[in-house]
Amino acid sequence: MTAAECEHQQRLSSEPRAGDDVWIPSACALCYGSCSIQVHRVNGVAIKIEGNPESAVGKGRLCAKGVSGLMVHYDPNRLTKPLRRTNPVKEIGVDPGWKEISWEEALTEIVGHLKRIRAEDPRKLVIQRTTTVTANKNPFQAFAFGFGTPNLSVAGGGLHCGNGAHLISGIMHASWGILPDFQYCNYAMYFGASKGHSAGHASTSNMGMAADARARGMKLVVFDPMCNFAAAKATEWVPLRVGTDAAAALAIGNVIANDLGAIDAPYLKGKTNGPYLIGPDGRYVRDKDGKPLVWDLMAGAARPFDGAAADDMALEGSFEVDGVTCRPSFALLKEHLRQYTPEWAEKITTIPAANLRRIAEEFAREARIGSTIVIEGVTLPYRPVAAIAFRGNQGHRNSVYNFLAVDLLNHLVGAADVVGSCLGFPPVVDGHPDSGRPHYVPVATPDGLMEVGQWMGWHHPYPVEDPKLPKTLGLQGLFPMGMVSPFLDAPDREHWWERFGIEYRPEMLINFGANLLMSIANKDTMAASLAKYEFIVSIDLFLTETSDFVDIVLPDCSYLQSVDSRSNFPTIFSHPAGMGDWSWPIRQPVLPPDGEQRRFADVLLELAERTGFLPDMIAAFNAILELEPPYRLDGGRRYTYEEICDAELKHNFGPERGLEWFRENGVIRWKKKPQEVYWRPFLDVRVPIYWEWMPDIGEKAAALADPRGLEMPLEYYRPLPDWLPCHSHEVEKPGFDFFAFYYRDTLHTNSYTMENAWLDEAAQLDPFSYNVAINAEVARARGLANGDLVEIESDTGRKITGRLRLTECIHPEGLGIAALANHWAKGLPTAMGKGVFFNDLLELDWKRTSPVNLNLDLCVKVKVTRAAE
Amino acid sequence: MRLGMVIDLRRCIGCYGCQLSCKAEHGTPPGVFFARVLKSEEGRYPTVRHLFLPVLCNHCDDAPCVEVCPTEASHYAEHGIVDIDQDKCVGCRACMMACPYGNRYFNGERRDYYPGAGPTVYETARTLRHPEGVVMKCNFCRDRLAEGKLPACVANCASTARYFGDLDDPNSQVSTLIKERGGFTLHPEAGTGPNVYYLPP
Repeated sequence: MTAAECEHQQRLSSEPRAGDDVWIPSACALCYGSCSIQVHRVNGVAIKIEGNPESAVGKGRLCAKGVSGLMVHYDPNRLTKPLRRTNPVKEIGVDPGWKEISWEEALTEIVGHLKRIRAEDPRKLVIQRTTTVTANKNPFQAFAFGFGTPNLSVAGGGLHCGNGAHLISGIMHASWGILPDFQYCNYAMYFGASKGHSAGHASTSNMGMAADARARGMKLVVFDPMCNFAAAKATEWVPLRVGTDAAAALAIGNVIANDLGAIDAPYLKGKTNGPYLIGPDGRYVRDKDGKPLVWDLMAGAARPFDGAAADDMALEGSFEVDGVTCRPSFALLKEHLRQYTPEWAEKITTIPAANLRRIAEEFAREARIGSTIVIEGVTLPYRPVAAIAFRGNQGHRNSVYNFLAVDLLNHLVGAADVVGSCLGFPPVVDGHPDSGRPHYVPVATPDGLMEVGQWMGWHHPYPVEDPKLPKTLGLQGLFPMGMVSPFLDAPDREHWWERFGIEYRPEMLINFGANLLMSIANKDTMAASLAKYEFIVSIDLFLTETSDFVDIVLPDCSYLQSVDSRSNFPTIFSHPAGMGDWSWPIRQPVLPPDGEQRRFADVLLELAERTGFLPDMIAAFNAILELEPPYRLDGGRRYTYEEICDAELKHNFGPERGLEWFRENGVIRWKKKPQEVYWRPFLDVRVPIYWEWMPDIGEKAAALADPRGLEMPLEYYRPLPDWLPCHSHEVEKPGFDFFAFYYRDTLHTNSYTMENAWLDEAAQLDPFSYNVAINAEVARARGLANGDLVEIESDTGRKITGRLRLTECIHPEGLGIAALANHWAKGLPTAMGKGVFFNDLLELDWKRTSPVNLNLDLCVKVKVTRAAE
Repeated sequence: MRLGMVIDLRRCIGCYGCQLSCKAEHGTPPGVFFARVLKSEEGRYPTVRHLFLPVLCNHCDDAPCVEVCPTEASHYAEHGIVDIDQDKCVGCRACMMACPYGNRYFNGERRDYYPGAGPTVYETARTLRHPEGVVMKCNFCRDRLAEGKLPACVANCASTARYFGDLDDPNSQVSTLIKERGGFTLHPEAGTGPNVYYLPP
């Protein structure tokens, strides 16, 4: 089918009939949470969006953003025609001189570039996509695989994404993120997280579940520089210095493990690598088959980890195995933690030592180690405590340790994926009773450690591959635990590409919905990166700041004009945890495209066909969707994306439940089983409390990086977490005495929703959304008042301006800035000039990047001075 | 039957779902939010609480807005709902002066969300229904009630912080919550007899 025919079909399938009055089930796309919605269409106009009560994803309710979606859809600034620049000058704020062109012209020109690049070296194509308007990675991943480029990134190489949260949740919980078991948890600690307080994955469902937990009496202790969303509802707000979470968590761990001895020994023995013996070199002691050994106390001898009863494994002591002195890794963790006294942590975090001690005691007591509970007739471990971290915690150079130090608290007391504990977004799915699909279960690797059963990224978080000379522009080969990379756009990237022998350079960028100029770091660095591309095509809803660097803009369909068979898959991404239902909802068009808008997934299929790699793209879809006959796609056929969605749905739920069935019903749901929700006791997998592979990875990475001038700091590659300072903690310039930090506002999704007229209006009324939060007493001491316009200067001389909001709800050293605001693009008139552009303070460099997972620091040491009005 | 609302401040997280779902239900013009969320702070750092207070028309038993209305546009509708008959409203705004809660809005001349672009098809279908030159406010979603639905802000509240029902029935959920949790009203000293209650955080 040609694109024109496809467009015609799209028009027909969603054509509103005159006089119609219908509610159409679909999926939200105001953030990646993708809650289930129903849209009321009357006389061809969508007049209301509500939650879909038939789905567990949102449970019939929506956040402020979700109910405001029509203002995105009906924004008159939406693009309706392909545009081509006439002005060759690509600079910030320089008018590209847009000229309307036909799709035929646009596609012909794009395909010309694609053909040349694919023949020369397909890796010269970079694909960058947002996760905001769809969480589904598959169309772009299939396109990239089919084309042959590994250079696929998601928006916000640094700020947007959670390299640490996802990596560590994957290794420790087989999931994309963690949250408390709201239905049974009694005591939760949050570090830079707001699960259940109108943010992120499974946002709406979590709000209700968190409120139920609060009403039930769950205590919530929130470690955060700012008392806003979760902290505002907490039993206790624990303000701390920005970026010092690991220090607090390590001190709490020390009290739990050493002072209180409150550990869940059976859990540590049976479900972690705590009993694995570690030699003097810090590595596992292995048998002749390479299996890690444990000490069997009954046998008085070393045994392979799967050759002894867990109960008999030693967690402490020192043993001799073949003349080598070794100790269980738990013993090393326990000893390691001893150095982190609450008094030490107080100096780093500013949290009084007595508070850290008390909180540790409360957490350990409430863990009820050894207790069980019966859920639907199944007896399960009951550990009603959870230590949760997310974006804020791991958005630092010390990303890995900050997150791991928090999560280890769960594992010390056995509070991992059992009743009441820290849960991953659900990773174990047995499948619909009729079909057994989708079916995903984590599995054990040869060392006994867990590998995820479903994942979103390029590679599973564990096992970790050896670092190798990088082949991608983000140098990811060197960082096998990394995800999105700042090297793609860093000012010194050319230097590193040369040093690491990257034999090609980026020439073409396909951008999908990301506003790169604002979403990664300061605009000048991003502008320099974008200006280097020979050709940029961008599929967008609006002309943005990034459009100033684009050659051809293609008008995308909004979520209300689009189709998707997996608006909420994998389940580890945006499905609520805990008991209840599984739901598989779809996204379907409620309205036809306006003007010449086309759905991006169909545009990608068209480009693949015209460029000549459609069979490869179809093969990639088959692999990604794991399609089997009779639903395996035929490489020789041209499919519409709707047909691919139909195949996937039938593959999962049977021939009678294709796209047509889902259009009618919106969602299929079935009951969760306790064995799925609380899977940890039922799966023979272990998780690492001692990251044995880290020194090896660090040394191998250093062996490649150091000779090329990229100094690999090995203190970040130790098996046990530590507190290491961010660059901001080391700045000693006089006058630079605030830690500015970014946080996500409840009314906005990064920069995307700033153009939404309703949300903007509400944000203008909120005291914080568009202002800079500063401690009231500190501000007054400097003669600063509410509403004052200030200049905020980074230690590297970058400057932004914003208006102050004096508050008691922030650490005296903190400067809290919400979201990514202060747009200047003419195509976003609602967003223009509102709020503060925090990212413009950020450098994109190695000093401010996690040397393990490539996360970018979100804290900046700044000077605040009054600015001229 | 006396319809009333109970808002549980312990459950409320200040997410603005009520404020925007109300706007989505009524398609109100720029500057108008029948339901709003106010934020305040209590105490000094670090012993401080950040508080959220969702507000809307209190549908008072002795509503000063009804009393002062010269044209009987503001009136008591069924079950104690205070509503405005916009055909009768002359836009004098005495009611706005009289309301101690500031929950009424004057819809002056037409305003669009995208100045210069004219009304969108959505605004044409929804926002332009609201007559100009008159006062507007929350009416507990009378249209939804007639269809057997809950008010939009109640139905959509993701934290289930809002409850709606018959305050005359001592056994209703709203009455029970007020009794058991110590429900209170705003500005009781104004003597207006509000029918929106709050449960302490």
